[in-house]
Amino acid sequence: MECNYSNKEVLFAALAGVLYSLFGIFNIAEGIGVNTGLAGILFVPGDILGGICLVVIGTVFLYGLKEMRQGINAGVSFVYVGILLSLVFMAVYLLIMAGSLLDSFIVPDDYEGWSIMETFRPGIYLGLISIAGMLYWKDSFSLHEVLVFREGY
Amino acid sequence: MTEKITVALAGNPNVGKTSIFNAITGSKQHVGNWPGVTVERKMGKRVHNDLEMEIVDLPGTYSLTAYSLDEIIARDFIIEEKPDIVVQVVDATNLERNLYLTTQLMELGVNLIIALNMTDLSLAKGDRIDAGKMQEFLEVPVVSTIGSKGNGIEGLLEEITKEFQRPQETDNVFTYDDAIEKVSEDLESVLESDPFFIHYPSRWFSLKLLEGDENIIRKAKESDSYPGIEKILNKVDAELLEAKIADQRYKTIQTMLRQVCNINTCSLSGSDMVDRVVTNKYLGIPVFLSLMWAAFEVTFTFATPFMNMIDIFFGWLAEAVTNVISVPWLASLVGEGMIAGVGSVLIFLPNILLLFFMISLMEDSGYMARAAFIMDKLMSRIGLHGKSFIPLVMGFGCNVPAIMATRTIEDTRDRLITILITPFMSCGARLPVYVLLAGAFFGRDAGVVIFSLYALGILIAVVSAKLMRGTVLRGEDTPFIMELPSYRVPTLKGSAIHMWERGQIYLKKAGTIILIGVVGVWLLASLPAPGSNAVFASDAIYGTTQSVIGVIGQFMEPLVAPLGFDWKIAVALLFGVVAKEIVVGSMGVLYGAGENEDNLSQILAAGAMTPLAGLGLMVFTLLYAPCFACIGVIKRETGSWKWTMFQLLYGTSLAWIFAFIVFQAGSRMGLLV
Amino acid sequence: MNEKTLDFIEPDTSVKILKVAGQKSSRKRILDMGLTPGTRVDVVRRAPLGDPVEFKLKGYNLSLRKREAETVLVEIVE
Repeated sequence: MECNYSNKEVLFAALAGVLYSLFGIFNIAEGIGVNTGLAGILFVPGDILGGICLVVIGTVFLYGLKEMRQGINAGVSFVYVGILLSLVFMAVYLLIMAGSLLDSFIVPDDYEGWSIMETFRPGIYLGLISIAGMLYWKDSFSLHEVLVFREGY
Repeated sequence: MTEKITVALAGNPNVGKTSIFNAITGSKQHVGNWPGVTVERKMGKRVHNDLEMEIVDLPGTYSLTAYSLDEIIARDFIIEEKPDIVVQVVDATNLERNLYLTTQLMELGVNLIIALNMTDLSLAKGDRIDAGKMQEFLEVPVVSTIGSKGNGIEGLLEEITKEFQRPQETDNVFTYDDAIEKVSEDLESVLESDPFFIHYPSRWFSLKLLEGDENIIRKAKESDSYPGIEKILNKVDAELLEAKIADQRYKTIQTMLRQVCNINTCSLSGSDMVDRVVTNKYLGIPVFLSLMWAAFEVTFTFATPFMNMIDIFFGWLAEAVTNVISVPWLASLVGEGMIAGVGSVLIFLPNILLLFFMISLMEDSGYMARAAFIMDKLMSRIGLHGKSFIPLVMGFGCNVPAIMATRTIEDTRDRLITILITPFMSCGARLPVYVLLAGAFFGRDAGVVIFSLYALGILIAVVSAKLMRGTVLRGEDTPFIMELPSYRVPTLKGSAIHMWERGQIYLKKAGTIILIGVVGVWLLASLPAPGSNAVFASDAIYGTTQSVIGVIGQFMEPLVAPLGFDWKIAVALLFGVVAKEIVVGSMGVLYGAGENEDNLSQILAAGAMTPLAGLGLMVFTLLYAPCFACIGVIKRETGSWKWTMFQLLYGTSLAWIFAFIVFQAGSRMGLLV
Repeated sequence: MNEKTLDFIEPDTSVKILKVAGQKSSRKRILDMGLTPGTRVDVVRRAPLGDPVEFKLKGYNLSLRKREAETVLVEIVE
């Protein structure tokens, strides 16, 4: 039975899985008061719930990694869905940025000493990895492939 | 000279009926209610070649039995209103089950046209369907369409025109085995000889009798021929027949499908792939919760600027108008009454629109069904359905769109219970009250206190649901039989249209009630109390002891004294029925703290109120009557003042009782005094 | 006897329907949705909390609570 995925998917799952989980954990850590020193450079503010979401995305990738290593063909679904999820969250964070920016013009008083970068999140730049993934595997995201996934033909 | 005809749109849920409806009617549509029920009815118009069509969107149904309100509505409409044409929208990627409804429509003898929709998806899937052969087999016109892109609509309209001008008599394509046919014939001859049944297609009626359709049997009992009918029915095994009839319908469908198309059966479709993750034993719930959180965050952060814009605009407008009008009381009426009233309606709009947009995306993509699937176990513990979960979660943001979202719940009882307990999901507007009071009295522990309030709300909701299920709204538990449709990519346009429909409903119906309520409160706050010589609607009177509402507050003081409240709080709470956001502001005015909340916080902490009473007030705010917008929406969605009043009284009574317990028990125990 | 009720069937198993018992309203609905005697049904998975259960039949996916699945008598195929 042919394999539906190659080493590339496995590597991607490993990379994305680890990155998302790590950043998620950092976020949670900052949220509960542990100073990781990353707040400044990598825009990791204390955001417990957001961090949990990142960890969830990371886990999706890692679970897919597990299945693929066990030889389960359908395990690659986790990579695709993981990519979709991370793109959704990227869009969410961008919208939050836009909303905050807009609000800062409407009620400037509430935003004294605020800069837009306060709303910048790892979810946004990590999402770039997923965009790369999506472009690379864009055939898999086409309508035909989305509707038909042949088990080992 | 244009002729007018009625065209009914029927079909299973999730087949793209809405996009076909939109493609046909464009902007010429309006939403109402089916008579006597709270089910939404969509109608639209289209003119094609001198033919004016009134399009009626029937509720999506899997069959035409009598067990769900939607099915009864669809069926009654077809039998009683006798539309000229019925167009059934069929999902080409799901033919076998979709055609089951077709068999019943054909038995009803309607002028049927099939719109074979989503042909792009079935082609991409690798299926080959011969629409022409299907048309031959069924003896019914079959038009291929792609509703989401508007393809095939012209062809459909052409076909409707042709069919109207030259209706075809179809032979019975769907026949049953000899035994069943024989019994049916016997029944038909009884039916045809009795003028009571003249409106019903006799074959359809007799088959329904054989199937044991309760609604139909009840109708038959009203006629004189019933004994004869009963005699025939007693000779057959109804249960066995029911299964046989369903089975034979499907067998005929399968025979046709074998001749008419080539379905690509893949072992794992893309949709299945996504489900592997989304309904995964370990990841399913975390993914769901993450998406819920994401939806919330976006809605509230993105809605905030727009809500602020509306707030500022109306504030400016009120001032401008007040400055222009020279008569003080009129200025106040228009400014603080009407404009503030309209503002309080519109301010929710961005919130509602965004939340509904999110919901439409979830519904149109098919994810909503998965959410109900995942959460059903929890919900069934309290006697509800998986579909109740999402509205309840939304309630934490704003109860108004949450209650409107209960439309997706099919069973009326489940829906009613969900609507009644949603207000206990502490909404965003109550938060400022908690923050003020918890901040003033509990300092560092404020967070824990607020969290407990939310938990209390959930607890009360759960217990209330169980109680209502067991007493007032007792009934059979609804069976959970839900399709998990294939995932589809939702169109922005489609979701935007859904979103806008909800917005319109909110503005029209809930809006009226809110406006009246706000002006009413304004009136009470502006009218001088008997014996006072303050000027009507002046600054000196508005909301003070000199006004009617102040008098009412003082009158109520004995009622709230056991809770540790004074008349000022009573007035603030009254204002809070208009909109919970107002409670803090009015407390500020009444305690003389002005606009500054920190000021107010200090005044309260310094002794204007005891911490215990503060806690009681938070509990009271959590449970008592919801805001006018919410009341308006409850009325609209339940369709009855009785249940709306019930919610108000129930909630307020609970609020009083719990606040009482908090204050009295706490005082006895010497806590927090 | 290879007969069991649908709620007892493990995921990734295929069955054939023998009979649908149960109360009027849910029985009718179950039959209408295509769970007729002789139909082949695949048990896909249980929900994360154990209930309801997802099935595949006649080319589409349907979910039922165990309570509804209990009323369907089936036999395992293959």
